[in-house]
Amino acid sequence: MIMFELDQGIADQLTEVALNSAVQVRCGNSNAFMVTASTMLPLLQSFEMSGVYISASRGAAEIIEAFEAIGVDVSHIQFLDLVSSGILGGTNVPYSNVHFVDSPIMLESVLLRTLYILKTMDSERNFVLLDSVNSLAIYNEDRMLAEYLHTFINTFRQQEVLSVILNVPDQTPPLVLSNLDLYCTDLIDRGQVVIH
Amino acid sequence: MNLSDLAYMFPMQPAGQYSRDRCVTGVHGLDEILRGGIPYGSTVLASGTCGSGKTTLGMEFLVRGADSGEACAHFTATEPSVKLLENIRQFKFFDIKMVDSGLINVFDMDVLYSWLGLEKSSFDLDDVHSLIKAIVDIVNTIGVTRLVIDSVTTLCYKIKSEQLIRDFLFTLGKKLATLGCTTILIAEITSATENAHWSSFGVEEAIADGIIVLGDVERMGHLLRFLQVVKMRGTSHSRAKHAIELTPLGVMLTPMLKWGAMSDKQNRWGA
Repeated sequence: MIMFELDQGIADQLTEVALNSAVQVRCGNSNAFMVTASTMLPLLQSFEMSGVYISASRGAAEIIEAFEAIGVDVSHIQFLDLVSSGILGGTNVPYSNVHFVDSPIMLESVLLRTLYILKTMDSERNFVLLDSVNSLAIYNEDRMLAEYLHTFINTFRQQEVLSVILNVPDQTPPLVLSNLDLYCTDLIDRGQVVIH
Repeated sequence: MNLSDLAYMFPMQPAGQYSRDRCVTGVHGLDEILRGGIPYGSTVLASGTCGSGKTTLGMEFLVRGADSGEACAHFTATEPSVKLLENIRQFKFFDIKMVDSGLINVFDMDVLYSWLGLEKSSFDLDDVHSLIKAIVDIVNTIGVTRLVIDSVTTLCYKIKSEQLIRDFLFTLGKKLATLGCTTILIAEITSATENAHWSSFGVEEAIADGIIVLGDVERMGHLLRFLQVVKMRGTSHSRAKHAIELTPLGVMLTPMLKWGAMSDKQNRWGA
């Protein structure tokens, strides 16, 4: 197992949020995985939640392996992979908890697939983690992405599903970023990486 | 007679107080779009391009009815019933027991034609009337309250005159409405763009009480399915485009993103 130091401050901050919250988690390039893991772990272990992990930054298999390497069991998290369908043979993964959407531009399909997966889950306390806004911004026009985040956040807030939205702010268009600030109820800011 | 007398004879009611009873489709999001469902006894044209989800929508409409104990019928003209059932079995919402128990009754149009002695390339007035009578008799005998004809386009290809198609649809719709049967007529169209007709022959859309259009929006080389209720008599409804997803649990809808609702072929992408 890889030794890994989690950010306890994130867990502390998450104790303050309600199920119908939308949490923007800002991270940098270098600390993205540590911040993601520090966010996921309390949700899974302390709050005993289930959830859907929407992966637009990397293939789901790679993310699962990264979590397994730090000893996190994600077998009961459902992954919605927006990346691997664009790679020849990418959807051939050995995990039954991975679902695919053809492309990150099929934003409505991502929302509907997530709602479908949530319908199939037994847990009453669920989260949806979107990894990440900056990855979606590569493919989607600014106004459409801003509109989508508005719909996305409000849909899950209405259903009392916690939204966790990962974002690397310096790679996100200003229009999307300002809208995200407006729609989200909470902010966990680890966007500035301090190198000791 | 003054105004107060009129008020006594015709008491004023707040607008929107009266509403027709609804056939709740049970399709995720569709009843919300229709403000409660399809008005009972309506004949609704579900027009769509190939692969847009027409058959799945029609079948789910029947399954949701069967779930609540309604007798349903499906007339298939585009594919044999065996193939239709095999294709639909992949969906978790469908249970073959509904067919076995007689809640969903599937009829091959070819078998019906053969039964009626209508194995010919084109139908005349008498043929059309015997076809209407056969369908109505089945609906009446079984007590069908939800009916799907898939597709009315294939059926109408055999009716050569536009006037005869109009008569066929009008008479069929009228008789089914009298029996309290809510009907979805599936129609094949080649294009679902703004300038397209909602039916192949142009007359179906005028006769139908409602029109639901299904099609694709092309977004950067990917096809995104959409559904739009263009017309529905007897109810207010949303006329917005909705993205649809065919999931194992059934059709799911969400409003299509306004900035993504137009095909990039329409040259408005990101304008």
